[in-house]
Amino acid sequence: MNPDDLKYHKEHTWVKVSGKKATIGITDHAQDALGDIVYIDLPEVDTDVETNSEIGEIESTKATSSIISPLSGRVLEVNEDLTESPEVVNDDPYGKGWVAVIEFDDTSEMDDLMDSAEYAKYIEEAK
Amino acid sequence: MRLAVLGAGPGGYVAAIRAAQAGAEVTVIEDNEVGGTCLTRGCIPTKALVASAVMLANMRRSEEYGIEIRGEVIPNAAKIFERKNTIVHTLATGIRNIFKARRIALRQGRGRFVSSHEILVTGKDGSQQSVAFDRAIIATGSRPLQIAAFPFDGKRILSSDDAVNLNSIPKSLIIIGAGYIGCEYASIFRDLGSEVTVLEKLPVALSSEDAEISEILEREFKKKKITLHTGVAVDNVVVNDGGVLITLRGGKELSAEKTLISVGREFNSSGIGIDEIGMTKGVCGEIIVNDRMETNISGIYAIGDVTGVMMLAHVASRQGCIAAKNAMGGDERIDYRVVPTAIFTSPEIASVGLREQQAKEKGITVTIGRFPFRVLGKAQAIGEIAGIIKILSDSVSDRVLGVHIIGPHASDLIHEAALAMRNGLTSKDIAETIHAHPTLSEGLKEAAEDVYGEAIHTLKR
Repeated sequence: MNPDDLKYHKEHTWVKVSGKKATIGITDHAQDALGDIVYIDLPEVDTDVETNSEIGEIESTKATSSIISPLSGRVLEVNEDLTESPEVVNDDPYGKGWVAVIEFDDTSEMDDLMDSAEYAKYIEEAK
Repeated sequence: MRLAVLGAGPGGYVAAIRAAQAGAEVTVIEDNEVGGTCLTRGCIPTKALVASAVMLANMRRSEEYGIEIRGEVIPNAAKIFERKNTIVHTLATGIRNIFKARRIALRQGRGRFVSSHEILVTGKDGSQQSVAFDRAIIATGSRPLQIAAFPFDGKRILSSDDAVNLNSIPKSLIIIGAGYIGCEYASIFRDLGSEVTVLEKLPVALSSEDAEISEILEREFKKKKITLHTGVAVDNVVVNDGGVLITLRGGKELSAEKTLISVGREFNSSGIGIDEIGMTKGVCGEIIVNDRMETNISGIYAIGDVTGVMMLAHVASRQGCIAAKNAMGGDERIDYRVVPTAIFTSPEIASVGLREQQAKEKGITVTIGRFPFRVLGKAQAIGEIAGIIKILSDSVSDRVLGVHIIGPHASDLIHEAALAMRNGLTSKDIAETIHAHPTLSEGLKEAAEDVYGEAIHTLKR
């Protein structure tokens, strides 16, 4: 269910690394828990973000919840399509529902993230 | 007792009726339609426009409710404004009829005090007549504040008085000033299809509201694609062929078909002869009154916007009742401690009492209860889930000190809180009152329960 080539943060975001760039998004578990997503407040391009800090908000018909950054860096790109069609996050959280691309320096932060098996276990324990 | 009332807005006409009920021989002087800013250019007409805008916005969401519309849904500006005019006309006629029934004389024209017992009324045709009085109530109100460097022209550079009679929907509109007037028009014209940009010199929109409420409104504006720039100063507004060109401090330029300037209001206190009779005014031109609504001149009272206390129709009406009773020999004093306010943005905002930032400034320790509308069954059923209810309760006594609502029917929900505050009730009193289900009012009960961390329908605190 959770792709093996991604890393996962405890606040239910995922990271896909490619060189010094990382695409981030919210996990399938998070979108499922939130229910129908109606609005996403995206981070702004060119802003600096820090690990464990809020970079945006997601509103669903059930709740409003923060998007927590899984790593530190600078926002290079955001998925503008989500402004028009936030439901894409429900449909395809690991694909078309990506949230932002972040350029990062500190590769050691990756070590703090979970792999898919660890994340699956983490969700199971939280239940 | 002969009572003259200068101005027939929500302060003046209410004072006139109250005094007539108490047996006064009342003359009201008004150079415009009865009803004042509230009825002819403010509260009521904008709510008629809000209703059309919300109707359109809801029709565009109809599929969410399982309703298919075959064909286009288009706003007809002429008819929208005509509907507004009909409503204003109906209500103004209602006031005129009450005047007739109460034998209140209406003199149409501009009134000016010539002594402390006589007002000279000049009609539009130049005719003059004198109104002698024993007591008088000044209720001349306020008007949109004009900026000298770029005055209103009624076509491209609009005041709120112009916007209410626009009879068209501009393709694009830049609103200068994100107070309640600017924010209401932003919602109206955005829902009607205009591209709307709002400029505000302060760091937040609706700076007089609780900061959390402002933040949620800003997010709702973002959802509606209303562009809001806060912390910006406007250096210049120029009318050109295409519309208006606005230059911000720093040089950035914005253009639109029209601009609406809503940066404040000024008092209608000059040209009415009050300086000549020695009435005391404040630095901004407001008429100074005490809590019995008396000016410094014996027998002359002032009420409403022109007193600069709180520029709200319902405060003017209350002041009008107090002034009328005192003019008739009573001894009533006004109490401003509990004054609810409503802002008809989409979603609506209403508040009463202390804001969280004020509690901090004043060093009052409060416990805060919050409840999001989206958790309520009724909010889900009607499909209006954005917003919250927030209660500030005194951490020691639990008395309700402030309530702030953004969400569906906020303006109707606030009065339970106002009544509670006026009577010194606690959040526990609200929480322990059985609220009918399923209603939006349950949100206030749940917010009150949340003060104790005991709301039923929240996952955690």
